Amino acid sequence: MWYLLRKLGLLLLTAWAAITLNFLLPRLMPGTPADAAIAKLAQNGPVDPATRAAIEAQLGVPTGDAWSQYVQYLGNVSRLDFGVSYTFFPQSVSTLVMNALPWTLVMVGLVTIIAFVVGTLLGVLAAWKRGTWLDTLPTLGGTFTSAFPYFWTALLVVFFLGYQLKWFPTSGAYGLESTPNLSLAFISDVIGHAWLPALTILITSVGGWILGMRNNMINTLGDDYVTFAEANGLRSRTVAVKYAARNAILPNLTGFGLSLGGVVGGSLLVEQVFNYPGVGYLLYNAVTNQDFPLMQALFLMLTISMLLANFLVDLLYGLLDPRTRR
Amino acid sequence: MIDGTRRTRTRLTSALGLGLVAVLSLSACAAPEPGSKTGTAGSSSLMLAADNGSPTFVKNFNPFVIEKRTTATIINEPLMVVNALDGKSTNFLQTNYTQPDAKTIVSDIREGVTWSDGEEFTADDVVFTYNLLKEFPALDSTGVWSRLESVNAEGQKVTFTLHAEDSSAPIIVLAVPIVAEHLWADVADPATFTNESPIGTGPYTLGDFNANQYKLEKNPDYWQADKVAAEQLVLPAANSQLDIVNNGYDWAYAFMSDVENTWVAADEGNQFWFPAGGTVAIAPNLTKAPYDDPNFRKGMSLALERDSIADNASEGTVDAAGQQGLLLPTQAEWLTDAIPDEGMVTQDTAAAEAAFAEAGYTIQDGKLVDADGNQATMTITTPNGWTDWLRAVQEIQKQYTAIGIDVKINQPQPAAYFQAVQNGDFDVAMTSFGGNGSVYQGYYNLLSSDFLQPVGTSASSNYQRYSNPEVDAMLTEFRTTVDEARQKELAGELQEVMYNDVPVISVYYAGLWGLFSDKSFTGWPDADNPYMTPTPYTSAALVILTTITKADG
Amino acid sequence: MTVAVNLPEPTGSTPPHQPPRGADTVVPEPHGPASSLRVLSRGAATIWSNKKARIGVVLLLAFVALAIFAPLIAPYGASENGFGRNEAPSGSHWFGTTAAGEDVFSQIVFGARISVLVGFIAGFLSTLIAVVVGLSWGYIRGPIADVINFVVNLVLVIPGLPLMIVIAAYLQNGGMTMIIFVVVLTGWAYGARVLRSQTQSIRGRDFITAAQFAGDGAARIVFHEILPNMTSLITGSFFGAATSAILAESGLSFLGIGDTTTVSWGSMLFWASNSNALLTGQWVLLFAPGLCIALLATSLTLINFGVDGLSNPRLREGSGR
Repeated sequence: MWYLLRKLGLLLLTAWAAITLNFLLPRLMPGTPADAAIAKLAQNGPVDPATRAAIEAQLGVPTGDAWSQYVQYLGNVSRLDFGVSYTFFPQSVSTLVMNALPWTLVMVGLVTIIAFVVGTLLGVLAAWKRGTWLDTLPTLGGTFTSAFPYFWTALLVVFFLGYQLKWFPTSGAYGLESTPNLSLAFISDVIGHAWLPALTILITSVGGWILGMRNNMINTLGDDYVTFAEANGLRSRTVAVKYAARNAILPNLTGFGLSLGGVVGGSLLVEQVFNYPGVGYLLYNAVTNQDFPLMQALFLMLTISMLLANFLVDLLYGLLDPRTRR
Repeated sequence: MIDGTRRTRTRLTSALGLGLVAVLSLSACAAPEPGSKTGTAGSSSLMLAADNGSPTFVKNFNPFVIEKRTTATIINEPLMVVNALDGKSTNFLQTNYTQPDAKTIVSDIREGVTWSDGEEFTADDVVFTYNLLKEFPALDSTGVWSRLESVNAEGQKVTFTLHAEDSSAPIIVLAVPIVAEHLWADVADPATFTNESPIGTGPYTLGDFNANQYKLEKNPDYWQADKVAAEQLVLPAANSQLDIVNNGYDWAYAFMSDVENTWVAADEGNQFWFPAGGTVAIAPNLTKAPYDDPNFRKGMSLALERDSIADNASEGTVDAAGQQGLLLPTQAEWLTDAIPDEGMVTQDTAAAEAAFAEAGYTIQDGKLVDADGNQATMTITTPNGWTDWLRAVQEIQKQYTAIGIDVKINQPQPAAYFQAVQNGDFDVAMTSFGGNGSVYQGYYNLLSSDFLQPVGTSASSNYQRYSNPEVDAMLTEFRTTVDEARQKELAGELQEVMYNDVPVISVYYAGLWGLFSDKSFTGWPDADNPYMTPTPYTSAALVILTTITKADG
Repeated sequence: MTVAVNLPEPTGSTPPHQPPRGADTVVPEPHGPASSLRVLSRGAATIWSNKKARIGVVLLLAFVALAIFAPLIAPYGASENGFGRNEAPSGSHWFGTTAAGEDVFSQIVFGARISVLVGFIAGFLSTLIAVVVGLSWGYIRGPIADVINFVVNLVLVIPGLPLMIVIAAYLQNGGMTMIIFVVVLTGWAYGARVLRSQTQSIRGRDFITAAQFAGDGAARIVFHEILPNMTSLITGSFFGAATSAILAESGLSFLGIGDTTTVSWGSMLFWASNSNALLTGQWVLLFAPGLCIALLATSLTLINFGVDGLSNPRLREGSGR
């Protein structure tokens, strides 16, 4: 119980620190939201001096000193009210986040799960067939593809599969003329659009799981109880799956937990290349447009979900391995 | 027990995995975009890259806010649209305007126009719109009420009374999109109003709206419906260069790398027109030495090989700018004979060195040094990610380094860049000016001491902090006189100031990136007939959409 | 130790794929303060004996040579322009030219300098911080450990790429130094956590208890007794951190953050996608820098296969079943 309370205390403290950092970080950036808005307009040519006043009036640029802004911010966070976005004025931050979140959760979430499942299976296979091509191919291939920069993979995938072969649509989360609904046609449209971004994330992330699982598996296969089981005449495959893999997967599972915690962050570069309307793209917009309210909300959501995932993984470890509780 | 739960989980996971794979492979053959039309000749719908989603569209057709759908300015017409290239205007909701004196504008409101909901458009709507902007300054993004005193209607005539004599006012004052009083009068907060079912007098009304693409349909009751050739406008949210080249747009606005081999080569009938839409200049901080010395600035101007800078900045698609502050060739009628070569300054190293010498800088061992032997240093500030400007700065850096100045490039993020230039926190900054159709406004925004602020306080224009009472007097007279001949004389004097006092160093013209296709529609503006800027995201689109005609066949 | 291979997807929020090392870590047999030279040569031999690591070493050396001898290898300067624009590969321009008329091959060669430099410097600094923090954290108990835990957790949960963008905007124009700083600042925490777990495992061993009874100070125990037993893990951490740094640099440069006038593989991709290299048929311009980044990062990971064998004999090649 004491263990749990201490962990919980630390969690709350970290959460407060993260919330405070989220307040400070955007304000470190030079330039105001109005400057960012003018910068955007100015890309199309010189901006009239009168425009600035109108933009400031529209956005209602924050007033008061930093401390009163901070107190107000804490109050807003406690009510989960993040105000109105500057970039997408006059939409509220909550609406924007709620619109973007499902896309990211479904696309990035599913790919994370698929990458984990595929990677882990390949890792088990590689360790079991060590030294054969079933080992070399996934291990070397995984090493190589996981070294691909995300954006580069995305650009190549767009060009070859999207524009050259025209197999998949290259941008957006659904067709040009569809409106989100729950019909079968729309869902298959969504899946069609998810292919390329999903493939990009899969290519670059599956290698990590393969290598991790392979090494865990090789360790476990060397353990006495596995040797013992084999010596007792159990079939190799039974040993591999029932004894070795089951134990070897534990560390990978915790990594998986943390990955899921990070899913809400989406994948900024991938979503940006594919115009995918998820959290990653929203975050990019917020950061590049000095959109303090949106940045605060997104950073908060990300940090809290990472914190929770960390916390749960820690708890899980505490349960599975009493030694770490010290 | 534990064993049992674990097994279930394993099976569940693999089942889930298999199921997903199956679903995904089924949809693998989903056809690519149904909405993209691939250059069908003679189509009556016009595909337009004028509005970018980020990444999807938010439904906001409030024509006064920055985060609007840009076509709100097609749905809601202004009294007139000005061609930013030469200042000539085309009437829309007015039939004519006059300036009885420099403090008054009288506009004759067009009769027989109806709103797209069937209500009649009247002069009261015009007065209402202007008063709305007065009441809510957040909507007044062009600053009309910094010029206006009052707006009154009398029959079909609307009279605009100005604070002060201002002959240049009409092109700004008469360009406000007009909204319907019967719809907007009840809106509690027009600044946050998103106007989701826009009603206007314009040639198009809102059709299907989706987050990735929307359509505007031709307004059958439009007052000049016979001039509207396209039955429908299609606006996708994603308009990357790849999309533009591959999806068969009729009109797009984008800088296209290697335009001849990409856009032009992509389809028959594809053409481009990149007119000058402003002047890109380097602004020296006049509050700092040595930039406070006109001789040093003259040296800076003479040391530049502008053609190669222009060439590098936009791959040879734009021209070098002269030091006279005009957009050429569209403002050529304003040129004065008092300065040589129409104000073009060509690189002249000897003359540059002479000018630097007058400012107290001499060349020693290939370095430009002051009397104490210290090398002249210069940091050029340019926004991060504005690649054409950056390319230009790199070339400028090379050229100044060659003459012996130690040049550094500072690339803050765009917002930080604007903060820095407004606060005067720079040595030399990349900047741009002009391009709103009025020669007076160009010079006023660039040179007037009305904008003057001390370093550290934000100035909304005149970032280099130029102050010259003679120039202020010229600008005041330019503004107050309605005599065109006198205006031209004053413009000539201002060109001499630009040329001799070098408040900023003009470098090259900022292009406007018009891409057109002749396949379905013809009559786009071009160098031979520059009747309007090729900017589809502004009300310039109104003029072009009512000028183009259907292509034969 | 298999290293977190990928730059934790640029939001940085996805944790590296390597799970925290828990109880099942194979702890190397503690060895006393042996001759460091012997340890080093034995280590090098173990790494070299691994075929994958051998490929990695050769590849890495090739890139290092490319970086060092860039001015000799490259036919032109990195930002020397004035050649034809968007030229296809030819005899005088092996990889063609960019939209600004620069030689692509020369840029690739000079770009190696940035990636190798950023990888090594940022990898080294991240590992240094990770070692100091991780070892102290693992050895010390009580409130200080809680404080460290708190700080590390904080750094781990703040989304990486957005954080990098914000810091980059704040620092403005620091060029490569800034990028290294940002990468180190966001990259050390994961290694610290891994090293901490290992330290905790070793802490309970008899030889540590013996040292404690002999009256050795904490710092001496941590850095003289525990540290030598973790060399392979630390080496692994270094290669992992260097890999992440290389990928992070390329990501930041691709977004155009930092100094886009510096020629690096990432900034080459920034300019390539900016001038739409694929539309102009410049596929080499887009393909080559990315491939180089991937190969350099792969070489480091491959070396780590050999490093794994150091700490864990079961992972050595040929020691399998």
